[in-house]
Amino acid sequence: MGAAGSKLEKALGDQFPEGERYFGLENFGNTCYCNSVLQALYFCVPFREQLLEYYSNNKNVGDAEENLLTCLADLFTQMLASTVEVVSKHFRVARACGLVETLVGNSILYSNDVIMFRLPIENGDTISGELEACFAFGKVEDAHEFLNFLLNELVDILEKEAQAAKSDPETSSPPEKIANGPKNGHANGVRKEPLVTWVHKNFQGILTNETRCLRCETVTARDETFFDLSLDIEQNSSITSCLKNFSSTETLNAEDKFFCDKCCSLQEAQKRMKIKKPPHILVIHLKRFKYIEQLGRYKKLSYRVVFPLELKLSNTMEDSDIEYSLFAVVVHVGSGPNHGHYVSLVKSHNHWLFFDDENVEMIDESAVQTFFGSAQEYSSNTDHGYILFYESISASSKS
Amino acid sequence: MINPANGMISTSSSSANAQSPGLKTYFKTPEGRYKLHYEKTHPSGLLHYAHGKTVTQLISRISQRHQHQRPHLQGFSASSGVRSAAARLLGAGNGGRALGFGGGNGGSKSLSGSSRIGSLGASSSSSSMTNTNFDGKGTYLIFNVGDAIFISDLNSQDKDPIKSIHFSNSNPVCHAFDQDAKDGHDLLIGLNSGDVYSVSLRQQLQDVGKKLLGAQHYNKDGSVNNGRCTSIAWVPGGDGAFVVAHADGNLYVYEKASLKYEEKYFILTFISHGDICDDMLALNILQSKDGAGDSSFPVIKDQTQFSVAHARYSKSNPIARWHICQGSINSIAFSSDGTYLATIGRDGYLRVFDYSKEQLICGGKSYYGALLCCAWSMDGKYILTGGEDDLVQVWSMEDRKVVAWGEGHNSWVSGVAFDSYFSSPNSDGTGETVIYRFGSVGQDTRLLLWDLEMDEIVVPLRRGPPGGSPTFSTGSQSSHWDNVCPVGTLQPAPSMRDVPKLSPLVAHRVHTEPLSGLIFTQESVLTVCREGHIKIWMRPGVAENQSGNSETVLLSTSSKEKPLLSSKVGSSSYRQ
Repeated sequence: MGAAGSKLEKALGDQFPEGERYFGLENFGNTCYCNSVLQALYFCVPFREQLLEYYSNNKNVGDAEENLLTCLADLFTQMLASTVEVVSKHFRVARACGLVETLVGNSILYSNDVIMFRLPIENGDTISGELEACFAFGKVEDAHEFLNFLLNELVDILEKEAQAAKSDPETSSPPEKIANGPKNGHANGVRKEPLVTWVHKNFQGILTNETRCLRCETVTARDETFFDLSLDIEQNSSITSCLKNFSSTETLNAEDKFFCDKCCSLQEAQKRMKIKKPPHILVIHLKRFKYIEQLGRYKKLSYRVVFPLELKLSNTMEDSDIEYSLFAVVVHVGSGPNHGHYVSLVKSHNHWLFFDDENVEMIDESAVQTFFGSAQEYSSNTDHGYILFYESISASSKS
Repeated sequence: MINPANGMISTSSSSANAQSPGLKTYFKTPEGRYKLHYEKTHPSGLLHYAHGKTVTQLISRISQRHQHQRPHLQGFSASSGVRSAAARLLGAGNGGRALGFGGGNGGSKSLSGSSRIGSLGASSSSSSMTNTNFDGKGTYLIFNVGDAIFISDLNSQDKDPIKSIHFSNSNPVCHAFDQDAKDGHDLLIGLNSGDVYSVSLRQQLQDVGKKLLGAQHYNKDGSVNNGRCTSIAWVPGGDGAFVVAHADGNLYVYEKASLKYEEKYFILTFISHGDICDDMLALNILQSKDGAGDSSFPVIKDQTQFSVAHARYSKSNPIARWHICQGSINSIAFSSDGTYLATIGRDGYLRVFDYSKEQLICGGKSYYGALLCCAWSMDGKYILTGGEDDLVQVWSMEDRKVVAWGEGHNSWVSGVAFDSYFSSPNSDGTGETVIYRFGSVGQDTRLLLWDLEMDEIVVPLRRGPPGGSPTFSTGSQSSHWDNVCPVGTLQPAPSMRDVPKLSPLVAHRVHTEPLSGLIFTQESVLTVCREGHIKIWMRPGVAENQSGNSETVLLSTSSKEKPLLSSKVGSSSYRQ
């Protein structure tokens, strides 16, 4: 179980960071992709803190029905609270695992009859029909899809709660508190104004898709938001290079022409993606699972893609080069897309930790490079970095 | 040469240029074609799963005792040994060898040995490989792979090395050769464990065994510093002095050991290995029998600050510890006259020291990420660095700043070198333009060649209103461009828009594995990949048969090219 603390405590000795504990998460049958993402999110300190702050501010509001947000907050609370020496270690661990099970069991992994709650849950034992519908899209086993689902689900919940609070002005808690962030347009009452939640504040960036008609030279710019960047990868390349390709100019021609509003016809055009607003937490997803038409199935690309511990985005529209620092890596282990395992690497208080479900080990920083991938197609090394989490370390980007 | 699984047998003596598909055997440059001439490899077919960067060095004039023979070809001197080419390599990785990492900061080694991380341990070869085609003359390549050091005859078409030296306790990770070493010990070898050996290369080559002979052992079992060795260099003109950089940001200066010292080094075995940090260790060691030596160094107070500590007793070795940076020192290089020492490391900083004054002169940060390699120009005016930002950086000693970024690699830059033998064939006659030719190799498996014409990049390209006077703007981010910064300060990372960009002349995919280094010789360019495969690319116009016979006075990589310096740089600025 997750009591990796003691071994690590010995390893770290005096250097063991105060107020931090490291808990493995038990695998309840194919839940490693959840565990790996949850560990990465837990060690995304601003996300963790804001989730817990929101949760503690809103705990007593309304009916507090069980949902993904409350489960996640409960889990993080337990992982965090386990530093307090009042609860016995076993119980703490059991609680933490039980909560994961709740989160996972409720949501995605199991058709409802498999494993349900092992431990009593305070607030009811069912999940809302609405949520059930959300989860009904089937078995997700991809860590990236899980992350995406999780973040979008949190945003939905936050937006609904903000909506509810707005439509019911008698509610004790002011809307600012619900949004847990800056004033964001709710005052003018425009319903469509997108709410900027703390999830957005952490993860959202804005891309600008610029298309230049080669006939009239008109540039059409369209903004889109993102929680993560999905990058095509090449053998023996770097993240820097993949990001460059992501933003490189692409010519639209032949079958793939662009409809220019000014010319009112299909024209050849040049297209490129630039980062208009870099996110505070930059999540990079490497497209390691590629559909191969000849095979009629997905194939895992084991390419060696190196990722630096520090990164700058130079393809931004802003003048300053924002620097990021790597703090978590979700690693896919295995040779194919349909089987395998997920583990995660996490940097906490300047130490790198390796989470493999319930096991936690400390690793040297230089061991991160064993997860870059394989320079040759066939290799016995199948541990490949899949999702990278970078946090901005430039003060300017926090605005 | 592709060995998909552990345990496959490498047939390294197969056809000469048969390479992986998609790799061409030549590349074009403005001055002509470079052709693949020879390849060198080693008998270990196993992927050594390289963290161990293969360091290659070129060696000539191993000793003064010339025999007037030269080995054109393998067969010429083969009588001196029996080549056992069969049974080259057996079986699967036994996992016994530690991988290249471990050690590291703060002496934490906790994970090595974990099944996951260590799942690709390399095997030590148990084959017999005892041939000496050594006649004391010629040019040799020395390179490390896995647990061994290999020595190949550069001018032989034989792919296999003429000598291998295996290490049982830890992997060799860096080495340095000094052809002018007086007492015969001319080769330094640094190990993953932090141990350092000095040996006579000639003595090794004359022996048929696989063990190191007659070695002087320093930092035994990591007693002075248990961080992995990262780079090692003879001090040019230093009368046998050398420096060793470690993964914990420390660099040690050793003086040539007399026999008196030797005794002492073998006493350093009682140090317990434990959780004590390096500095604690340093306090407790080196009590020699005669009580004279105590090379204890004080605890480093501020890990982020440069500090030099001298041994308390002049007779102890190492004689000094330089604490340079937090995190690993990844590479070091002396300027050819030995005045300056450049270091680069994990923290992304290039630092240039006045070696004899033990003083930081200048330095600056990469765009982002660690720096991995560095090299001086022969005239000492420029330093190249390469690193995890995929950039080749040109540092000017005169301006004490970055003067150009080479953009063109698709991955980390792992090796850089100036081509001191290059002379520009196409000067346009408009004036004296000094052109520096340099090369870089990267984890993108490619070799890139570059020309640096200083006239073209004197003024940094800037954005912003052209009418403005950015040169004298104050308080702006880029103001440091316009002033030579004071001695002893480190520059922050420049902004992307402030640094002039270079594009490569040539970008050629040369290997299938990430590259780890390159060497320019008078007749060729050598590229090395991290698996220890070496390719020799002949320069345009060099007849293929010439190389075997030519009276090459090839020089070892770092420190010994000075004699050529003046003539070569001079000739590259010529007028048509």
